Amino acid sequence: MTLSREERLAAWLDGELTGDDLTAFQAELAADPELAALAEEWKANDSLIAGAFAPVAEAPIDQAMLERLGLAERLAPLPANDNSPWWKRHALPLGGAIAASLVAILVVAPRSSGDARDPLSRALDETPSLAQADLPDGRKITPMLTAQAADGRWCREFGDGSSIALACRADKGSWIIEAKGKGAAPVDNAEFAVASGADDSALNAAQAHLKLADPVSAEAEQALIAKKWGGHSSK
Amino acid sequence: MYLVGQGAECMRTAIVAVLPRLRRFCAAMAGSAADGDDLMQATVERALLRSGQFEPGTRLDSWMFRIAQNLHIDGARAAKRRGTAVDVEVLHSLAGSDGRELVESRSDLAAAQRALQALPEDQRAVFAMVVIEGRSYRDAAEALDLPIGTVMSRLARARGKIAETLAGRQDAQKEAGR
Repeated sequence: MTLSREERLAAWLDGELTGDDLTAFQAELAADPELAALAEEWKANDSLIAGAFAPVAEAPIDQAMLERLGLAERLAPLPANDNSPWWKRHALPLGGAIAASLVAILVVAPRSSGDARDPLSRALDETPSLAQADLPDGRKITPMLTAQAADGRWCREFGDGSSIALACRADKGSWIIEAKGKGAAPVDNAEFAVASGADDSALNAAQAHLKLADPVSAEAEQALIAKKWGGHSSK
Repeated sequence: MYLVGQGAECMRTAIVAVLPRLRRFCAAMAGSAADGDDLMQATVERALLRSGQFEPGTRLDSWMFRIAQNLHIDGARAAKRRGTAVDVEVLHSLAGSDGRELVESRSDLAAAQRALQALPEDQRAVFAMVVIEGRSYRDAAEALDLPIGTVMSRLARARGKIAETLAGRQDAQKEAGR
């Protein structure tokens, strides 16, 4: 594909030039002050425009708007940069304030090894929300809520640091991590990149595609633990 | 990467999650926050109506950007046919003479809107996808159903036109500063 000078410049600005094309264009840029000046001008214009529109995606979508859009049923507003998605805010039988303070002291989300009965899965099987479980490798995890996904799986949000994660229980009793987020730390991200998996937006995205129901009560959770999550697992 | 399953409720939840970005894209396409919200509303209605056409495993936001772009282009055409002044580009060129508009013209958003509104619709959509929404050329090409070469040429032409528009603004500011 033969590109014009302007097309190459645009592709360079958008990070779409790679390999030899990139090297060649950088040399061209270094050798051509006029092109370099145009590059600066275009770059400044791009950031002016992208910066000007960034706040539009940060503004909260209010309840009235959701109602107008026919999206309000059972959904609370989801501001772009709000760190507590509706399913958490509504969440807790446990109380939002308690959950928030817990999130604040938690540190790093563990990774599921994928092993059928890894220690994390056992801990998630047996630990009630707001209790802490010690893993053999020294991590401490605290489940925060339990809710059922639309596909019937049980899912739990837990943290072990400033990070929180959402895991769902597969048939064989292993808990698969669906998403991880940064916990209560502010997400200063104008992009609100749900799909890129950044921070809490990853949890929001997981929540959206799992379509979690309201979290269960402490008693119901206790019963699930007692029954080893039986009778309600997938499909 | 939205894996939206079957079911309208599921779709609704997923749409809520992409609304902030859809709102931004619509504002960029329509030329103002208010027109953008109208476009967003029409887009959501259309998306819910046609949720069966969404391919699970593809990006919901891309699909909705495309709906928004089509609705916007249809709306602009219809407005032209009717000869009404609903067309945002017309509105834009009519504004600009009163004092309030002069003040607003110094704000970045107003300048950004003016620069975008000076673009043809097809270039504006590609520019909004790539530069404002930060999507790759491949994403933009798929979402807008264009060959990648078209995405590239539109981006280059859009930037050339934007540079013209914004250069005028800088000159005007220098004049005003004197």
